[in-house]
This record gives sequence, C-alpha cells and structure tokens, in this order.
Amino acid sequence: MKKIININFHSRVVPIEESAYEILQQYIDSLRRHFANEEGRDEIISDIENRFAELFSETLKKGAACITDADVNTIIASMGRPEDFGDEESAAAGAGADAGQKGSYSQQQQTYATNEPRRLYRAENDKILGGVASGLANYLNIDPAIVRILFVLMCFGGGAGVLLYIILWVVLPTKSLPPAARKRLYRNTDDKVIGGVASGLAAYFHIEVWIPRLIFAAPLILSLLASIFRHAWFDFDGPVFVTGGFGGTLFIAYIVLWIVMPEALSASEKLEMRGEKVDLESIKNTIKSDLGNFSRRAKDMGTEMKSTFQKTGEQVKQSTQNFASEAYPAARKAGTGIGHAIGVLFKAFFLFIAGCIAFGLIMALFGLAFRGHNVLTIKNFILTGFWQNFLAWTSFILFLIIPIVALLTWLIRRITGVRSRQHYLAYVFVTLWVIGLFCTLGLAAMIINNFRSRQHVEEEITLANPSHGKLIVKTMDGKHDYFDGDWMFDIDWDNNRPFYNCNDDSFALNTVRINLVKSEDSSYHVRVVKFSLGENTHAAHENAEQINFSVRQSDSLLALPYGFTIARGQKFRNQKVLLVVAVPVGKHITLHHSVDEYRWFSIDVRKSHIRWNKRDRWDNAAEYGWDDDIDVDNNYRWDTDVDYVMTNDGLVSTTRRSVDHDDKDKKKEDRRKKDNEDQDEDPGYRYKRPAAPAPPKAGQDTVKKTAALQAVTDSHLYLLSALFQ
Amino acid sequence: MNIENTQSQMRKGILEFCILSIIRRGEAYPSDIVEEMKAANLNILEGTLYPLLTRLKNADMLTYRWVESNSGPPRKYFSLTPKGEAFYGELEATWNELANAVHALATKV
Repeated sequence: MKKIININFHSRVVPIEESAYEILQQYIDSLRRHFANEEGRDEIISDIENRFAELFSETLKKGAACITDADVNTIIASMGRPEDFGDEESAAAGAGADAGQKGSYSQQQQTYATNEPRRLYRAENDKILGGVASGLANYLNIDPAIVRILFVLMCFGGGAGVLLYIILWVVLPTKSLPPAARKRLYRNTDDKVIGGVASGLAAYFHIEVWIPRLIFAAPLILSLLASIFRHAWFDFDGPVFVTGGFGGTLFIAYIVLWIVMPEALSASEKLEMRGEKVDLESIKNTIKSDLGNFSRRAKDMGTEMKSTFQKTGEQVKQSTQNFASEAYPAARKAGTGIGHAIGVLFKAFFLFIAGCIAFGLIMALFGLAFRGHNVLTIKNFILTGFWQNFLAWTSFILFLIIPIVALLTWLIRRITGVRSRQHYLAYVFVTLWVIGLFCTLGLAAMIINNFRSRQHVEEEITLANPSHGKLIVKTMDGKHDYFDGDWMFDIDWDNNRPFYNCNDDSFALNTVRINLVKSEDSSYHVRVVKFSLGENTHAAHENAEQINFSVRQSDSLLALPYGFTIARGQKFRNQKVLLVVAVPVGKHITLHHSVDEYRWFSIDVRKSHIRWNKRDRWDNAAEYGWDDDIDVDNNYRWDTDVDYVMTNDGLVSTTRRSVDHDDKDKKKEDRRKKDNEDQDEDPGYRYKRPAAPAPPKAGQDTVKKTAALQAVTDSHLYLLSALFQ
Repeated sequence: MNIENTQSQMRKGILEFCILSIIRRGEAYPSDIVEEMKAANLNILEGTLYPLLTRLKNADMLTYRWVESNSGPPRKYFSLTPKGEAFYGELEATWNELANAVHALATKV
C-alpha cells in the first residue's frame, strides 16, 4: 500500500507515489549539486524536469493510474545519474582544467559517503553569503532560517555575529550539502485563528500552540486595554496599538511572517512542518557526541587537509603540464587559500558597510513612521477638511509603512530562502507605494495652497510715558502648563522651537519679532502687526485677526505674552507678530533676555522655501522683502539686556552693562530713581549674559565706526556688519 | 591507463560535432537527438545532452523555439545560428583532416 500525492510538475498535475516523489526529488537535488558551478544550471535542470514531465504524461496517457517508483527509476536510468555522466561532458565543455576538478568532485562524493561522523562545513549549494549558516543548520539538523535569524540578531546585538561569521567563513571548508532535516517553517492553516502563523511556529518548535499565540496577542491586548483606559481619561487619537512600541513590532512581525511563511498545503509539506523533533536536548546531544571525538576529528582534519593540499598540488602540476594555457584558472582556484581569505574579508567588509547603510535607512523609516504619530496632534492644526485628513492618513500608511513592511518581507524571505510564490506581491507593494507618493504630493499641493496668500492686521498702542524715561521690554514667563495628551508619545520639544507647546486643544507659537524705531513724538508707541497666511486674501486676513497678542504696560515695564496660541478649530498658517516699538529721542529702552525665546520664521510658498531666522536681524534687505508693505525703515539692531538710549542719530548703547552692583549704582544715579525696583523683581536679569557686548549699530553711517571699536569683543558681529556695508 | 577511459575520451571529442551535425539537418528535439545517435551506435545519456545544449545555446551556437506538444509540456526545438554554422564548418574541416590523418597513419604499412 502506497500513498499517492498530486504534484504540480511543470504546470501539469501529476499523481505520483510518495516514495517515487522522494526518489525524483533526490535525483533533482543530486543534479542541482552536480551542476552547482554551471552557469546555466537552472535552465538545464528545468529542461530535464520538462523531459520528466513529458515522459510522465506519456505514461499516464497509456492508462497508468499514477507514477510509480519503477517509472521514475526507468527515466532516471535513461537520463543517467550525475556520477555516470560526470566526466563524459566535462571534456565536451572544452575546459580542460575542468577535468581535474570533476575528478576531485567525485572523490569528494565518495569521502562524503564513507565519512559518517558529521563535520562542520560551509554549504556551497544553499548560501546567502558564505553558506556558514546553512552549514551550521545542516550540522545541527535544523532549518537554516533559524540559524540565519540568530546570526542577524547577534550582529545587531553587539556585532559578535559578524566576527564569528567571518571566522567561520574563512575557517570552514565548503561542501555541497544535502538539505538537513527536511523541516521548514510553514503556516498551519488547519489550525488557525488569523493566518496560522502561531500554530505553524508551534508545530516547528514542538510547543503548545497557545504559547506563540499569547506572545503575539499579549501586547495587542495590553495596548488595547491601555487605549481604552486612556480613552476613558484622556483623549484618544489614532490607532496607537498598531504603531505603538513593542505591540506594534509584533503586529508587523506577524504580518510579515504571514506573508513570508508558505502555507503547508500538501501532506509532505505538513510533514516537513513538523519534521523530526528539534529541541535544545537534541542539539545538545549532537554537539556532545561530536565534542567526544573532537581530537580524533581534528587529527583527521589535519591529515585530510594535508592530503588535500598534496592533491591540489598534484592537480596544479598535472594541469600545468597537460594544459599549459588553460591551467591558470585552475591553479588560481586551487592555490589561493590566502587570497580567498582576503577576498572573503573584503566581501564581508563591503557587505557590512552596505548592511549598515540599509540598517540606517530602515531605522530612519521606522523613526519616521513611528514618531510620525507625534505629528498627529499638529496635523489637526494644519489640515482642513476630510480630504486632507484622508490624504494624510493614506500617505502615512502607504508612503511610510509600506516600504518598511516590504523591506522586512524582502529581508526575511532572503534569510529564510523562501521561493517567492507570489510574484504579484512586489507589484502590490510598488503600486501601493506609488499611490502613497501621489497622495503625499497631492497633500503637499493642497497644504501649500493653504499658505498662498499673506495678510496683516495692525494695531497701534500709545504707551503712557514711564516715570523715569526708560522702558523695559520682557515677556511674562507665565507657567505655560499644558496637559500631556499622550503618555507615550508626548511632544517633548525644548523651547528652541517655534511651536513651544502643542496639544489637542491649542497650539502655541512664539513667532514674534521686535523692531525698535525712533518715535515721531515724545512718547513711546507700540505697533502690533499680526501676519498670517491663508488660501486667499480673505482667509489670511481672518487668520491674522484671530491672533491674540495683548501687550500690557505697567509703568516702565512692557509685558509681552510668551507667545500666542491657536485654538482648536483654527489652523496654523504661519501666524507671526511683529512688534514695532517706537522710542522717543532721549529715552531709554532695554530688552530683557526673555525675548530671546521668540522664534521667528517665515513660510513662503511663493518662493518655495521656508525661512527660519533665529532672531530679527534686519541687516539683509532680501530678508524683509516679503513684507514690503510694512514700514521697516529706521529700525535698529539691538541685543538683549543692554541699555539703549535713543538719540537723533539713532539708537546708542549706554555702553554700560548691568554686570555688578557698582554698575548698577552708577546707572541708578544716571537714570531716574525707581529703576532698580523693576530690576529687583527680576533676579535673573543682572547675571544673565554679563559679557554681552553692545555694539550700537545704529544707522548706516555709524555702524562701521562703532563696529570697529567693538571688534575685539565682538568680532563675528563686526564681520557681519562689515559684510553688509 | 584503461581502455574504457581512452575510448570515452575519443568519443567525447566528437560529441559536439555529432550533435551539431544532427541539428544542422533541421530543428531537433533533444530526445530525438539521443535516438538518432543511438541508431548510429553512439550512446549518449540524455542527462549529458541537456547541459551540452544549454552551453552551446549560451555560446550563441544554437537557438530554440517552443513547440506545443500533445503529449505533455511544450518542447524545446533547437536549431543552428549563423555562428553555429560557422562553428560547425570549422569542426567539419578539422574532423576531415583528423580522419584523413588518422586513417593514413593507421593504414600505413
């Protein structure tokens, strides 16, 4: 009684006895090994298989119910076994040097057959780099994929794997190895919840099926629970359980395994899936029994190597004599152990570099994809309408997630050596990615459109004259406390960003700039100019009007808000506030260092770039080209924490810094009395940036002179000003 | 030095020439080539023929086309390329020289 299986053999369905199938498989494998060094190997094998298929269908036509062992053996006999036509065709190939090689090949076959105690080899027939992993797998009787994955893990976890691999690569001899335990990872579709991945893994490792299931499901359940709790207390934005941390990794791992692992369909595949028992015990036993006769094998290896060298030496000699012109390649092949090692090292080095680059790219993509979640909160302030949101999500998933999944799939396929059964997969990935690309472009176009038009609103405030002729401008460092919207992916930007605070309810900006100008009359004036972009003039105007930037004066102190917020429902359209402070002649002004926190940047889609200025330096004419309509004449360069006085010639520093108490006393005398009260309220004032030089770069004609005077202390500013003369 | 080895060496040298001369007469299917050679008392294993054909094809000596078959999968029919013709011509010349020389030497009294 024999089992009959149906195989798809060159797109013909062939009923065949399972034992006959085994024979056929072994025969094809032996051919594959024989032609391992042949250029057209796959074609030759395919031709021979084709002939088999033809003869099979002839047999079946004659009325046979199935292909039997005898049928297969007859065909193999007429085809000839590799050892039969071993040297018959080598001479026909024309390469005389081949003869020696083929001879050593059959010899190798013989030693393989007799040399029962197994040895570690590099597999030359099943390799990705040097065949080390599959050699090891053969030795340990496990799926090469497992060894490969372990190697990769070792490489990323400290780099020991790279070294080990290279050493083994150099040290181990190559040999064409028969596949070890016919055992592979399959998806077990007989027992599946989603894709049968977990039960396939369980079958492979002979563990209970619930273990891998729990491992896959636990983070998912946990994060789902977490999301629910968060939903109850906070707000919930987006599928965190997909993209978030460990759970997300396993989620993607499951998907990738689902794609990569072939389904166990036929009986033999199901057998392969279970295979023979592989556990730590059996691996230990294998190694133990081998270590037992290690010394003997070492000796064997020594003698074998000696004989090998002698043999190759003779070969070289012989082929040199016989085929003087053709011996060169053979000699090179046989005699360059060192050359081989160096070649291996170079190859490994380049692969290492390439691997590093690929790894970096993957990590960058990961980072983008996962940190992209942060953008979720910001996106509410940028995107408008259903279509933009839809496009944003589509581009996020297709443009960023798809390449990661594709890369992982490719990597794991490469590692496990799975023949891609589905060629369409690559097309699907590429198509989806291209769709993602178009979505991204469309989104960008739509967003840019929203930034097309610029408008501003002005508001003029006349300040009451401070009682001692000096105005101090500072921001009210309010406690800008905000509620963390997301405990895992909190936006944690330092203050050096224009968006100093962002959560679901408000989006705070500090794109503020302060200009100092000369006042027309004898009192201080403040002009607040609010800018905004929008898709049209009207929208831009509206956006500008919605900016809430209130300036407060209490005697000599001009208090500015830390920034302004964009409330929920409003959009970020590069809103900016320009504060023009007009100082009357003879009056003083100081800008507290807290205004350094202001960050000013302009988005200009018409010039298709984003300008990002640290602080206002009106020294480049091109820089304020964007708002020509604003009066920017007569504004002066200033530094923080420097006391300036307005003269008819412009703004001049009083050259004294508030460094210590002496200075302060002197200043007190010079200025009016109450001055220090304000300053005492602000303890940080005195000590902050004590060495800040103050070149009074006032007006076009004075700049050169004063800058030259200050050159020692402030050479870079000098260079700057000199450049712009 | 055994006799079989020498014989097979002798046969090997003319294998390509024989195959090319069969294909030269018209498109040929590999198993037909084997049959024809058997009939001419030149035994060759099919497994030896396929690699040889593939090598010749990769060297642009041969080309092939797929022909649908009613007894199984489509078959590859091989034919000579112009380069193959030239190659055959040279082999033929060499063969004639060899045959004459060998004949002359072997029959010399």
